[in-house]
Amino acid sequence: MWPPKGNHMGLPLQRKIMEQIIFYILAAATVIATVFSITERHAVHAIVYLVTSFFALAVIFYLLGAPLVAVFEVIIYAGAIMVLFMFVIMMLDLGHPEKVGTPGIRDWWPALVLAGVVFAAIVTIVAAATGSPAAGQAIGVREFALVLFQRYGVAIEIISMQLLFALVGALYLGRRQGKGEKP
Amino acid sequence: MKLYLTLILLLPLLGGVINAVAGMRLPRRLAEWLACGAVAGSFACALAAFVTYRSPVTVELFRWLSAFDFQAPVTLYYDPLSAVMCLMVTFVSGLIHIYSVAYMAGEEEYARFFSLLNLFVFAMLTLVLAENLPLLYLGWEGVGFCSYALIGYWYRDEKNATAGRKAFIVTRIGDVAFGIAVIWMFQLFGTISITGINGMGFLMPGGVITFLGILLLMGAMGKSAQMPLMVWLPDAMAGPTPVSALIHAATMVTAGVYLLARMFPLIGSSGTALAAIAVTGGVTAFYAATCALAQRDLKRVLAYSTISQIGYMVLGVGAGAITAATFHLLVHAFFKALLFLGAGCVIAAMHHEQDIFRMGGLGRRLPLTFWPFVAGGACLAGLPLTGGFFSKDGILTAVWLKGGALYGGLYLLGLLTAILTAVYTFRLIYLVFGGASPAFPPPLMGGGEGEGEGVAKVPRLMEAILFPLALLGLFGGLFNISAYLGKGWLGGFLAPLSGAGEEAPHATEMLLQGIAALLAIVGVAIAHLCYGGERRLARVEAAAEPPSGVVAFFLNGWYFDALYRFLFIRPFETLSRVLWERIDEGVIDDSLDRLASFFGWSGKGLGRWTSGRVSVYILSFAAGAALIIVYFAWVVRG
Amino acid sequence: MIVPLLHVLILAGILFVLGLVCVLVWRANIIMMLIGIEIMLNAAMLAFVGGANRWGAADGQVFALMIIAMTSAEVSLALALVVYLHRRKKTVNADEFNTMSG
Repeated sequence: MWPPKGNHMGLPLQRKIMEQIIFYILAAATVIATVFSITERHAVHAIVYLVTSFFALAVIFYLLGAPLVAVFEVIIYAGAIMVLFMFVIMMLDLGHPEKVGTPGIRDWWPALVLAGVVFAAIVTIVAAATGSPAAGQAIGVREFALVLFQRYGVAIEIISMQLLFALVGALYLGRRQGKGEKP
Repeated sequence: MKLYLTLILLLPLLGGVINAVAGMRLPRRLAEWLACGAVAGSFACALAAFVTYRSPVTVELFRWLSAFDFQAPVTLYYDPLSAVMCLMVTFVSGLIHIYSVAYMAGEEEYARFFSLLNLFVFAMLTLVLAENLPLLYLGWEGVGFCSYALIGYWYRDEKNATAGRKAFIVTRIGDVAFGIAVIWMFQLFGTISITGINGMGFLMPGGVITFLGILLLMGAMGKSAQMPLMVWLPDAMAGPTPVSALIHAATMVTAGVYLLARMFPLIGSSGTALAAIAVTGGVTAFYAATCALAQRDLKRVLAYSTISQIGYMVLGVGAGAITAATFHLLVHAFFKALLFLGAGCVIAAMHHEQDIFRMGGLGRRLPLTFWPFVAGGACLAGLPLTGGFFSKDGILTAVWLKGGALYGGLYLLGLLTAILTAVYTFRLIYLVFGGASPAFPPPLMGGGEGEGEGVAKVPRLMEAILFPLALLGLFGGLFNISAYLGKGWLGGFLAPLSGAGEEAPHATEMLLQGIAALLAIVGVAIAHLCYGGERRLARVEAAAEPPSGVVAFFLNGWYFDALYRFLFIRPFETLSRVLWERIDEGVIDDSLDRLASFFGWSGKGLGRWTSGRVSVYILSFAAGAALIIVYFAWVVRG
Repeated sequence: MIVPLLHVLILAGILFVLGLVCVLVWRANIIMMLIGIEIMLNAAMLAFVGGANRWGAADGQVFALMIIAMTSAEVSLALALVVYLHRRKKTVNADEFNTMSG
């Protein structure tokens, strides 16, 4: 697979190498931002790091020929979901790291051991599963939409219903208790 | 005939069942009369059957067990042997029943007592009348069970219950041998009909017959309390006195002798088996007579004398003298029942004091008990012209006629035993009835009623029962008078059974009878020298000392109980303890306990896992997922 | 394809493991746990997109979209739950909610 032989997709070799370099830089950025995010004691800062990570990830998606997913990543993930997190943090007034407990060494070592094991296993599986040469072509919005609505119509319905249920559930959970019912 | 035989069996069964089911709800009088009436009716039927008897009858009542070629119908066999046994059993049992009404007047649970007595009679009659071995075995075991329940009648006292258990277990040893014999005979002959087996005995090799004979002898040993299974009988005195009379006189203990007599046509062809039987009987007779010399308990003396007399009967069977053995069995039943019932009167008069050294002077106070008792004692001692004299002499004559070193020795042993018998019998009579007054009057004076000094009144009914028995015992010799005086009736009646027995020359027989009579009188003289008159008091005072030496040896029955305890019970207990403590508790229970505690401990440990803390759950979940992923990786790589 | 699929998948694996660590470590803060879940879901999306690119099929991208939709539903419910729980116990420490203890 590497180094690529021939000129796929008609891209000039120079641009391809550029993209590769950008990919690795973005990958490093994603990982570093995520590490900062999970080690950050301040929840708001952690969200900010995560948004950074997601932006980098969105660009990686773009590089992997999935512009539509990249757009959704930015709009829904980095935009909507993270903002929702931020709202909740602020609403519950959790922005004070001194009020919230932080993980100690007793929390870290089992997590790290498990993570190491899982990672080693994943690498083993992935490395064993390398297959035929890559196609590596970008997929346009039209093609994406065709597959989505022609082949996965039922899934769309289910997802939409799931969103409806989530809406109802969130409303139910979030409603105020009746005035006379409970202090 | 069929009706009579059926009724002989059914009446006691009916009485027993009615008493068992509804006895306590019936009026007491009715329950008592029911029990007595059942046995009396049975006696009447036995009498009727006897009178109408012409030749051996086989009556099949109904089919009981039937599988392939194994057929065990309820079939009755009525021949001279079962005829005389039936008469004797029903007659003596009937008298004992009537006696019990008076003796047990103070008891609360009379229904249980009378129901068991009736069932006992039923089982005994089944045993006697059975035509095939399984039915005989049924009666055999029924007798064993009823005796267990009756010996332990006062079961609230630990000692009595133990005596009952001992009787049950010891006889069970013999029963096992008998059971083996029954099964083996079925396997050999393909039938379990007694007459059939007896007719086919000649088909078998001698060794097999010998072995069968010894197995049957072992069965008889258990039931008839012969050496070495005799230890239960003295302890069986724990039961009420009528029960002692019933078990030890009329019925159960004679079952072994009856069995041997019944199977005699089969085993009689084996000289070895007969010799074993004869030796068992002779040795037992001597052993029990020596033990009886030293006993202090009135009923134990009689118990040992029973063992001794049954030893004579077994000796008679061993000598091939079925007639003599049966004759002695009958006479013994009469006079031993008489002695036991007399002892019951004495015990009742002495407020349940049974130590003969604490009695005395009863001869004048209880004349109506005294004279029948003396009559019974005379029979037991074999004084000339009593029934016991003739019957015992018949056995000894038969042994003498057998000849040879073995039977000669047994004859001498029998003579020695005869002296001892006379000695202990009159020792008993002197101690109980002689003297002026009870040596140690019982503390309970009975309110000074009647004839004074602690002697209670004995119900007239109890004493009245003694007389017919005394008459039968004294004149029982007439049943089978000696050959030189005429033809013996019983011998003629039983003749088809024992075959042509060799007749003793009249001179020899008279000589032997003369020797026996002389010895009996010598025995009485010895007893008189030791216990008569003033010497009685000295003996009584000496008896206050703890026994020692030979006396203690005899008193404790040659320490057979201790020997068995040492030989069987101790190792068994040790083995049981080892199995219990080491194997059961140490290995089986302990491993299970440890397993259980391990699971309990691990469960508790795992239970702590479900702490309700979300983080623990998540961690566990992640660990599980990691495990699955690692498994995938392993599969992929592998 | 610009980089080997292997590298993309390793990146996805790293992200997934980081998300897992986040979930396991931050038991003192449910919000951080949820963030860890988001990270893991993103790693999954990355793997899908990489696969779609590798085989030139749109299906992987469709599933990435599904994941986004599902995530938004999950997050809205989860955050509602956090608010609800915080209202009851005034804490976001996951170990405080131990009424499931056997």
